[in-house]
Amino acid sequence: MADVATATAIDVSPPERAQRPNIVRVGTIIWLSSEVMFFAALFAMYFTIRSVQIGAGAPWPPIHLDVPYDTVITIDLVLSSVTCQFAVFAAERGDVRKVRLWILVTFLMGAAFVGAQAYEYTTLILHEGLTMGSSAFGSVFYITTGFHGMHVTGGLIAFLFLLGRTYAAKRYTHEQATSAVVVSYYWHFVDVVWIGLFTTIFLIQ
Amino acid sequence: MKVEGYLFVLVAAFFAVADVVYWFWSKDPTGTTALGLSVGLAVLVGFYLLFTGRRTEPRPEDDSEGEIEEGAGEYGFYSPHSWWPAFTATSAAVLSVGLIIGWWLFLIGAMCLLLSAIGFVFEYYRGHFSH
Repeated sequence: MADVATATAIDVSPPERAQRPNIVRVGTIIWLSSEVMFFAALFAMYFTIRSVQIGAGAPWPPIHLDVPYDTVITIDLVLSSVTCQFAVFAAERGDVRKVRLWILVTFLMGAAFVGAQAYEYTTLILHEGLTMGSSAFGSVFYITTGFHGMHVTGGLIAFLFLLGRTYAAKRYTHEQATSAVVVSYYWHFVDVVWIGLFTTIFLIQ
Repeated sequence: MKVEGYLFVLVAAFFAVADVVYWFWSKDPTGTTALGLSVGLAVLVGFYLLFTGRRTEPRPEDDSEGEIEEGAGEYGFYSPHSWWPAFTATSAAVLSVGLIIGWWLFLIGAMCLLLSAIGFVFEYYRGHFSH
């Protein structure tokens, strides 16, 4: 009997696609963790100057802070996080109309926060005489809340980009959903930072 | 993704313990705050990895018998070539220098940054790439 070549049957079907966490989402979280450290520097500055000033017998804060007013704008910002999450739920369902609606609501609430903060700044400057250079409290107050306000403004621009993308794309896909999710991560982060700032500056004082 | 998640949780636990010891030893608010938020840094990443790991199936890396080819598939979208990051970075640099030199340069930088950010965000939504 002639020798015959033998071959074992091997499975040539392609392996199942590996499921991976979305790289954009992971990247956003890593970036936000570095943003935590940016605000860590601001909080550290605040607590250092506060302890030095109180140690020197200076009043802290040297002016009257309108806590109820800031409580209202804090609630506004926290609720905007809720509406932002509704946009994410709509994005995960692929309901682009609801995404646009909830993003618009969130944008308006965020814009109201920035507007209210700008109004608070003008009141503090005109009536309380609190400026960047007027006292150590003035410096840390405007630097911490100002950097936070800039982050909120950045979030508002991101919402506009997000809305623009829903109109620019011919079809609503996971790509747009990812944009909505990562912008919501950022918005929740900014919200949590504000709760920290509000607690330290306005509640603990 | 349990291993990665627990690694970051471990880092968070280390920072938490170090933070408490540091505060009682030095009473220094600066370092205590920084260490406290370092816990936040590690918890954020650790929580995210554990949470996502529970919602997705184990990856080939998680299987000690995993093979290289099992890792094939889509990893995500990577821009093959783009000038926009360079424009965005240059605009950000102009904006930052503007803080020192004057408001007029800051405003020019801010406008450039806005335009390059629009270019960056919508690059793959226009013209040849529109989808």
